[in-house]
Amino acid sequence: MTQSATTRWILIGFQLLLALFVLLPFFWMVSVSLKPATEPFAIPARLWPQAPTLENYVTAFRPEFRTYFMNSLIVSGASVLITVSLGLLAAYSFTRGRLLVITALMGLVVLAQMFPHSAIIIPFYKLMRSVDLLNTYASLILAYVSVTLPVAVWMLRGFLQKLPVSLEEAAAIDGAAPLRIFWEIVVPLARPGIIATSVYVLIVTWQEFLFALSFTSTKDMRTLPVGLNDFIGQYGIRYGELMASSVMVSVPVIAVFFFLQRYFVAGLTAGAVKG
Amino acid sequence: MATVELKNLRKNFGSFVALEGLNLSIEDGEFLVLLGPSGCGKSTTMRLVAGLEDPSGGDILIGGSRVNEIPARDRDLAMVFQNYALYPHMTVGENISYPLKIARVPKTERLRRAKDAAAKVEMDHLLTRRPAELSGGQRQRVALARAIVRTPRLFLMDEPLSNLDAKLRTVMRAELKHLQKELSTTTIYVTHDQVEAMTLADRIVILNNAVIQQMGTPAEIYARPANTFVAGFIGSPPMNLISGAVSGGMFTHKGGTMQVGTADGAVTLGVRPEDIALSHGDADIMGKVYSSELLGDCTLVNVRVGDSLVAAKVGADEGMEMDTPVGLKLRQERLHFFDTDSGNRRET
Repeated sequence: MTQSATTRWILIGFQLLLALFVLLPFFWMVSVSLKPATEPFAIPARLWPQAPTLENYVTAFRPEFRTYFMNSLIVSGASVLITVSLGLLAAYSFTRGRLLVITALMGLVVLAQMFPHSAIIIPFYKLMRSVDLLNTYASLILAYVSVTLPVAVWMLRGFLQKLPVSLEEAAAIDGAAPLRIFWEIVVPLARPGIIATSVYVLIVTWQEFLFALSFTSTKDMRTLPVGLNDFIGQYGIRYGELMASSVMVSVPVIAVFFFLQRYFVAGLTAGAVKG
Repeated sequence: MATVELKNLRKNFGSFVALEGLNLSIEDGEFLVLLGPSGCGKSTTMRLVAGLEDPSGGDILIGGSRVNEIPARDRDLAMVFQNYALYPHMTVGENISYPLKIARVPKTERLRRAKDAAAKVEMDHLLTRRPAELSGGQRQRVALARAIVRTPRLFLMDEPLSNLDAKLRTVMRAELKHLQKELSTTTIYVTHDQVEAMTLADRIVILNNAVIQQMGTPAEIYARPANTFVAGFIGSPPMNLISGAVSGGMFTHKGGTMQVGTADGAVTLGVRPEDIALSHGDADIMGKVYSSELLGDCTLVNVRVGDSLVAAKVGADEGMEMDTPVGLKLRQERLHFFDTDSGNRRET
């Protein structure tokens, strides 16, 4: 299909408009983080500070922030590891399994995605309390694994369906046992899918607020999104430091996504059309 | 090296019968070709022998031992797949040596044997390449090298040449045949290409609708097809099959009448294109030229007889204009007769 020059320019115009709409809040976040304490509400408002300063970053990077960062890293890292490991095993069964019950189970996995977090948070809270896991990493990791696993299975299944079964058959003929086939043939070939799913789980868990706020009660267990609340006080909001913290919270995920985005896009569309 | 025996082997996929009571014995060192159209059960047979499918009934014996319950990895056989099934994340060398790695052969020994196997198929200079960097023919050779690297009891080849172009297929066919004779390993080869079957096989098994139609050497099958299916499947171009009736030693059909030596009844007469000559006098069949194709060393003349076409392979300079009336003379001693109702060969 060929496009006329006019259509192309119109499309580019729309894309720029869309990019502007999406990126403006991020730009404003960075801009405010670099403004001195008096400038965020100055009238007339400035898009870019007159005298940019890193003062807010220095204040925001306090010991608590480092604790929150480590907590987020532990919780997200563990969630990624567990979700992707379990998801890969489940997706492999769903892809290669021949039993009808497996197809039915896949339907349940889809169903599990349909409940909003706010609907399951109370049962989750009760469960965590009953096993005395509140205010621990485990409570958050378990909750995150349970909410990200269905999508992870779905994404990984799309990737695995594209792997020719003859490769696994060839390995079996070459003498490999099922576990070895999985580890030496399936896992390396599913690497793009594993990366894409890891990025997805990382993005979801890194920014998650509701579970983190409900399940943690002390500062030493809080994660970054909850930690940002520290700048919202009874008498006002410290916007400069809040935005500086927000930038620091966003940077790791943006960096990961930037380097691995091609896998992520492929992951969401894998299996969507017949190859 | 080993013998293979299939006893009353059956395979159903739900209500679909893929294989129905197959009985077959394969000699040690034999090159056996399973030939038939798509869906006839030939690949299923191979996959059952490989252990990639479980039989619905019957027994599979390799080297005299029943292997029905033995998984593919323990059957000690090698398989070349139609799509080669090379591991894309491994180099050529790693692909070839993978079966040895699984068998825990020491690394130095592994490398030496992988290099030897690669040399046999002239791929030893590309050991560090990945499959994506190879041509179709080179990938095919790597798949072959992976099969021969550990001298298995049995080679299984599932249409390994079907993805190659015609020229490369001819070259690889010769190489395969040479390699199999050199290694003397029992080989089961699946194809739907009768030329491949004729040129490679010690013995051909022709399958159709999940049942063996005929087995024998290529020469036997070509000379004495057991039924009309085999007669129409083997040969390029295939045998002409002319329906008619025999009464009092005379065969009557839409293109004429001729004397034959078979019993009365509804008969399908079979004659190969090379056993037909153009006749300017006394003719067995009369018709009009439908097309004339020069093939280089000969000409294929298709003659319309009634509502069917009869192909005759004649001299390169005997081509004719379309719609020219023509008489055909059949070589009496090379005629085949089949019972029209059953399709089975009639012994004259």
